[in-house]
Amino acid sequence: MSWLLNYFSFIKFSSSRQNFITLILIFFVSLIFFVSISFGSFNFSFLELFNYSETSIQKTVLFEIRIPRVLLAGFVGASLGLSGASLQGLFRNPLADPGLIGVSAGAALGAALVIVLGSTYIPAYIFNTLALPISAVLGAALVISMLYFFTRGFGYQGITYMLLIGIAVNAFASVGIGILTFISTDSELRGLTFWTMGSFGGASWQIIIPALLVIIVSMCWMIPSSRKLDLLQLGEPEAYRLGINVQKLKFKVIVSSAITVGISVSLSGMIGFVGLVVPHLVRLLGGVNHSYLLPASAFLGATLMMTADLFSRLLIAPAELPVGLITSAIGAPFFLWLIFRSRRI
Amino acid sequence: MSIKISSVSYEKGNKKILDDISLEIKSGEVLSVLGPNGAGKSTLLNLISGDISPSKGEIYFDNKNLKDISIQERSFMRSVMAQSQAIVFDFSVKEIIEMGWLDKGLSNYANNFQDALNEIAKETSVTDLLFKKFNVLSGGEQRRVHFARTLLQIWRPSNSLDPIYILLDEPTANLDILHEQKMMKKIRSKASEGIGVMIVLHDINIAAKYSDKIAFIKEGRLEEIGNPSEVLEEDKLSEIYELPMKINEDPYRITY
Repeated sequence: MSWLLNYFSFIKFSSSRQNFITLILIFFVSLIFFVSISFGSFNFSFLELFNYSETSIQKTVLFEIRIPRVLLAGFVGASLGLSGASLQGLFRNPLADPGLIGVSAGAALGAALVIVLGSTYIPAYIFNTLALPISAVLGAALVISMLYFFTRGFGYQGITYMLLIGIAVNAFASVGIGILTFISTDSELRGLTFWTMGSFGGASWQIIIPALLVIIVSMCWMIPSSRKLDLLQLGEPEAYRLGINVQKLKFKVIVSSAITVGISVSLSGMIGFVGLVVPHLVRLLGGVNHSYLLPASAFLGATLMMTADLFSRLLIAPAELPVGLITSAIGAPFFLWLIFRSRRI
Repeated sequence: MSIKISSVSYEKGNKKILDDISLEIKSGEVLSVLGPNGAGKSTLLNLISGDISPSKGEIYFDNKNLKDISIQERSFMRSVMAQSQAIVFDFSVKEIIEMGWLDKGLSNYANNFQDALNEIAKETSVTDLLFKKFNVLSGGEQRRVHFARTLLQIWRPSNSLDPIYILLDEPTANLDILHEQKMMKKIRSKASEGIGVMIVLHDINIAAKYSDKIAFIKEGRLEEIGNPSEVLEEDKLSEIYELPMKINEDPYRITY
């Protein structure tokens, strides 16, 4: 048990108010999970869910389609929220978002490459569970390393520079995806268009279980470093003098963000602005220290993403909107507001 | 107990920034390092804190080579207050100071944390600022907050015998005269508790008033080191700063 206590020792750096907020967020995650699996083009009432009176078609819809989909939405939201919060901490820059700075685009390009160039040679069962996520993770890692190299260690002065590089990377990725679209066959094309807008429609247990396990492990690896991210806010030399191995910390954030974002993108496509909006809301709610920010961003990310997915399924049911459209529609004005606010300071 | 710097040189590219420097920071003493801009004072401080490694020569903390001390161990042996960077997110002053309270190693003192924090906040006159946002403070107030953090990092119970050092790079920059004097008095009293202090300064009068030893560095070389009364001579000073200087003995004052 002592390792468990040791693992959760980061909590002592958050206030009781912050822990209370985190608990409320956990409550919301569970609430929206049950609401999400009850509503859709096929409705279940809460009570029916618990007394096993479903017909077999209802059961199939619920257990084989609805639950994996909602779980996937939750985990992708948690991944984007958490990686947004940790990247913002690492870059010491509140505008860092896996989508804006091109990390998601890198992942999408990696995924697109393997769809168009590899899908005919790689057997389907390896393709969806291994080849696609791995190439997306590599694409994401490549972009983060490039950003690190070009901004010379993520300095605060690199704020504009980093966003500009993000634009360049996004442009580069869309050229790549464009070329790939041009040379792709019909069936590959269908796979590609899915990436540009984002959707949780493709979820099945077989595909999501390995992905969710990797995401959970990577999150559990990242979250205890929250105190180190706090100290990093004093600047790299200062964090080093306070006993932090800065290189190791950077490596950890880069690898865990690349893994969680890469896998999320490979399963659900590019979903923008969640990694930007979520950490900001969490900071507004309770404070800026990472021992609170990281877990709370994961929970709020999950809540928002499941809600967005619920809307995407309900607004024009039985058809559905791409969920990326919904998050961008909310996120883009928020991003503008952030820019205007930071200009005033 | 002391930090020994033994024939240390530091080169960057082909440029020699420090050349064969040897000196000692003893427990209980305040050593001030003075010299013109670009003399290599801050580089010397960075070498001693372990941020960079010397090209030649060795640095010993209590006879243990700095190279063989882990990054984390170093943070328990010395605290550093250098030029600080902007902090992006809205931390409260209290949170910034608490960052000096290192997690591991000091956990035996966990019960002392609140007392230590309050005591240090009072000593550095930041008690009224504790719950403000760090980013709304003035430059001088921010300096005092960083000073409080530096002191919290080396806080020990009064019966502790750990040798501890504190390295300061122009700590009084941006401070008004009252807080400048308060800070220097605090540093002085830390030394009398047995802590070894190295402080990079520009103001010769402050150095004269609060130091046990003064070292002059010019163009990367150690020009003079000794008691204030030994090294503060008109000829030497005029030569180092390339500016005619005059010492008034009573009241002790240097005019230029």
